Amino acid sequence: MKKSTITGALLMTLFSAAAFALPPALPKIGGIDFKPPKGDRLVMDNGMVVYLMKDNTLPVVHMTAYIRTGKLNDPIEKIGLGEMTAGLLKDGGTLKYKPEEIDKTLEFLAASVESSMGIEEGRADLTTLSKDLDAVLDIYADVLMHPAFAEDKVKLRRDETLEMIRRRNDDPGRAVVREALRSFYGPAHPYGWRSEEATVNAVTIEDMKAYHANYYKPNNIILVAAGDFASNGEMMKKLEARFGAWPRGEVKFPVIPPVQIKGERQVFHIEKDISQAFIVMLQKGIKRFDPLEYPLTVTNEILGGGSGLSSRLAAEIRSRRGLAYTVYSYSAKKPDYGYTLAYLGTKPETYSQALSELLKQFKLITEVPAPADEVTRARDSIVNSFVFRFPTPFDLITERASYEYYGYKPDYLDNYVENIARTDSKAVLETAKKLFKPEEAMLFVIGNSKKFDKPLSEFGTVTELKED
Amino acid sequence: MKSLALLPMLMLCCASLYAVEGSKDALPPGAAIEKDPRYPALVSYTLKNGLKLLILEKHFVPTVSFTMVFKVGNVDGTQGKTGLAHLMEHMAFKGTKTINSAGYDKEKTALDKVEKAAKALIAEESSSSPDAKKLEALRKAQAEAEKEADNFIVKDEYLNLYKSLGEHAMNAMTSTDYTGYVVSLPSSRLEAWMTIESDRFKNAVLREFYRERSVVMEERRMGEADPNRLMWETLTSNGFTAHPYHNPTIGWMDDLTRLTRTDAEQFFKTFYVPNNATLSVVGDVNPAEVIRLAEKYFGGWESKPLPDRTYTKEPPQKSEKIVNVFFKAKPAVRIGFHVPEVTNPDTYPLIMASEVLTNGKTGRFYKNLVEGKELALYAASGNSFPGNRYPSLFVIMSAPKAPHTVDELDSAIMEEIAGLKKVPPTQWELDKIINNYQAEMIKQLESNSGLGMNLAQNEEILGDWKYDWKTGDELRKVKPEDIIRVAEKYLTRDNRTVVFLREPLKKD
Repeated sequence: MKKSTITGALLMTLFSAAAFALPPALPKIGGIDFKPPKGDRLVMDNGMVVYLMKDNTLPVVHMTAYIRTGKLNDPIEKIGLGEMTAGLLKDGGTLKYKPEEIDKTLEFLAASVESSMGIEEGRADLTTLSKDLDAVLDIYADVLMHPAFAEDKVKLRRDETLEMIRRRNDDPGRAVVREALRSFYGPAHPYGWRSEEATVNAVTIEDMKAYHANYYKPNNIILVAAGDFASNGEMMKKLEARFGAWPRGEVKFPVIPPVQIKGERQVFHIEKDISQAFIVMLQKGIKRFDPLEYPLTVTNEILGGGSGLSSRLAAEIRSRRGLAYTVYSYSAKKPDYGYTLAYLGTKPETYSQALSELLKQFKLITEVPAPADEVTRARDSIVNSFVFRFPTPFDLITERASYEYYGYKPDYLDNYVENIARTDSKAVLETAKKLFKPEEAMLFVIGNSKKFDKPLSEFGTVTELKED
Repeated sequence: MKSLALLPMLMLCCASLYAVEGSKDALPPGAAIEKDPRYPALVSYTLKNGLKLLILEKHFVPTVSFTMVFKVGNVDGTQGKTGLAHLMEHMAFKGTKTINSAGYDKEKTALDKVEKAAKALIAEESSSSPDAKKLEALRKAQAEAEKEADNFIVKDEYLNLYKSLGEHAMNAMTSTDYTGYVVSLPSSRLEAWMTIESDRFKNAVLREFYRERSVVMEERRMGEADPNRLMWETLTSNGFTAHPYHNPTIGWMDDLTRLTRTDAEQFFKTFYVPNNATLSVVGDVNPAEVIRLAEKYFGGWESKPLPDRTYTKEPPQKSEKIVNVFFKAKPAVRIGFHVPEVTNPDTYPLIMASEVLTNGKTGRFYKNLVEGKELALYAASGNSFPGNRYPSLFVIMSAPKAPHTVDELDSAIMEEIAGLKKVPPTQWELDKIINNYQAEMIKQLESNSGLGMNLAQNEEILGDWKYDWKTGDELRKVKPEDIIRVAEKYLTRDNRTVVFLREPLKKD
């Protein structure tokens, strides 16, 4: 019974997302004394890794599982296979439980078991009041180990997926990001692709069963549990009882083709008569374990990141010129080359002013060293808000598990703050010089070109695309 | 209701934990700690100027979430100045006489020049035949005045202060009913927050007003491109004809073009007063210290009498209203039925009715519309939209799965509504809803910021921070016949407004 789902629709918020002097009266500020607790990491005989943290604050237990797969492992002719499989683990019933039985039990207990598929991770989540843990855990375990993929539920899920495809361009602000990445990485690369009617229709029940049999194995899963259990030992016993006999096995991973990015300016445009022009700019980013991560994080905080409006892009394009409500940038790390993305929405009559300023700001940070106080502020912002990554013990232990899942060193989290604190003005300049080449950036625009203040061709050779 | 026997025990065990936590500093006279184990052990206190404080200790991480809620929203705006509440919310990030300013005395003169120029421009723009040359000159004059005022601005100092302090999720929100300001900080910043925010709400300076107005116009355009927002706006503007819930919170574009800094200052002076606000502080704090600091920093904030908030009552709707919106997006439907304000006891059976329809995959909408007939991609309902302060709407939102149409979907939805009047909910359905409500009440205690917003809003808008807990008690009393009664009374054709989103007609 989420109260906010409806009222959220008309609530206006300040942000859509994301010479310094303290006023004389500002009091002295104390430090932040918090060392994130470690929790327990255990490994079952069948290879399943388990992270546990007891927390009796509230009579609730949360769990999540990381399953080592992701949308990027779909076969190209069956894009959508992973997502459909994950979506049907619970909805399609299990060997032991009919779908209706699962829904009735969980919903009566106000518990939830949900599984999903991200680009690089499969997940399965559980939330329950602690009094119902055993009953809900029984369902969760059967969902992970023995999904049945009931035919009528498969049809329902497929129809839903197809309807979502039909609706994928309804919100141009979302469409522009998806389509920009698709053009950036190419529609045949898993970092850029999207499912289509044909690829979703090609997925069979046998495919889903095979997908599940390959990836959902104990030695391919990291399980996380936090909350109201008597002790970590007791919780481990419960998990052993459910998952202990699940046999380990070999997992076959497909080879992901290397990323190929054209290092030259390309402009893509989709004609659409709407009240704003939606613009995405993309540049080549870094691979996951590149130590440039730290200075890049600080650089982005200065340029277009952070949760607020004090970044350069927000200050110049939004606050000083009033050209946009939403404007930001961020960098995404990937196993292969990630990307730096900048986004803005502005009326078509001023699109070129906003876009020119965006390009200018990316250029500026590669040319002029950022003032020391600006770098300090960005660093402080990241360091001082670090503690917000762990609002609850479950968030904390999940974060730790995610670093193992993504292959970071065990001390990554504990050294993060120190690594950020090391970044100075010089590092920001060098990182920006190395990674930002706005003159080569790809630009993607959805909007009404009849109202544009300048032809888009002034920004490069335009490839016209059709919304589909 | 056998299944409910467990629930009081659950509530007890979460509440007792709060009761024993934290420091033992003596609370000042007038402060009360909640002792009833059904509720969290919250400390409440009201300053002499009327500012209400709600403080809840939580200590896992050294952080604290602040929420300041003012009982002022778009509903309190005047015709011709819609959107002012929301624009004012944006302006509250622009600093004070000492923050963002390089010297307020000189800045004030410069800002007054901007205001004069802006008013001249608005007057010409609003005239029956605006002169193009004159407009250009006036625009230039305003830009020049703004440039001059820039000399006295320390840009974004307010935002940068919070950035250095390590803010998390700093934001603000305006609805038709209320305006809220939120930020979370490391808990060692408690006094810094008190210092900055007391200055913010006592001494706000609305600099860079016309630029921010342009930002809000972009926000409006963003919404116009989003079919979802478009449908909600269409529903309220057609569902309400006389009551100000008719107006979109973001404001009509034409009104936005004429809003001035003077308007916003007047609005600020009228409604941003301590006797119109509640502050919740949730996290790693000592309540006695919070009260001491609040007295120190907010004690001098002057209270003022508030204007009367009686607005034109919406006349009874006597005919079904159907609106077709043609838009470049796939079809969808929004329906609203007029219902009374939330203090009316019919609210509880209406909430239960909504939950019978929409609660999970075992809810009737999912079972019959999404599965069963396979008509809908989704279908959901909710009571009390767009607000809680005045009579509102019971809403239904849904979208069809091709090749089905919104018309087929609407018929099926109305069949479900008819079903609500004929087939009383089973005990199982009712128990399930109550179980879910109670579980939500426990889970909401997990998030400091979410809980803080809930407490402050319920106190300021509904008059009681325990509102959600008490609602739970009331929902348990609802009987199947109550649900049938309210469905028959309110969920009728002549009491509804329907918005169909349809793909554009092919041009001849």
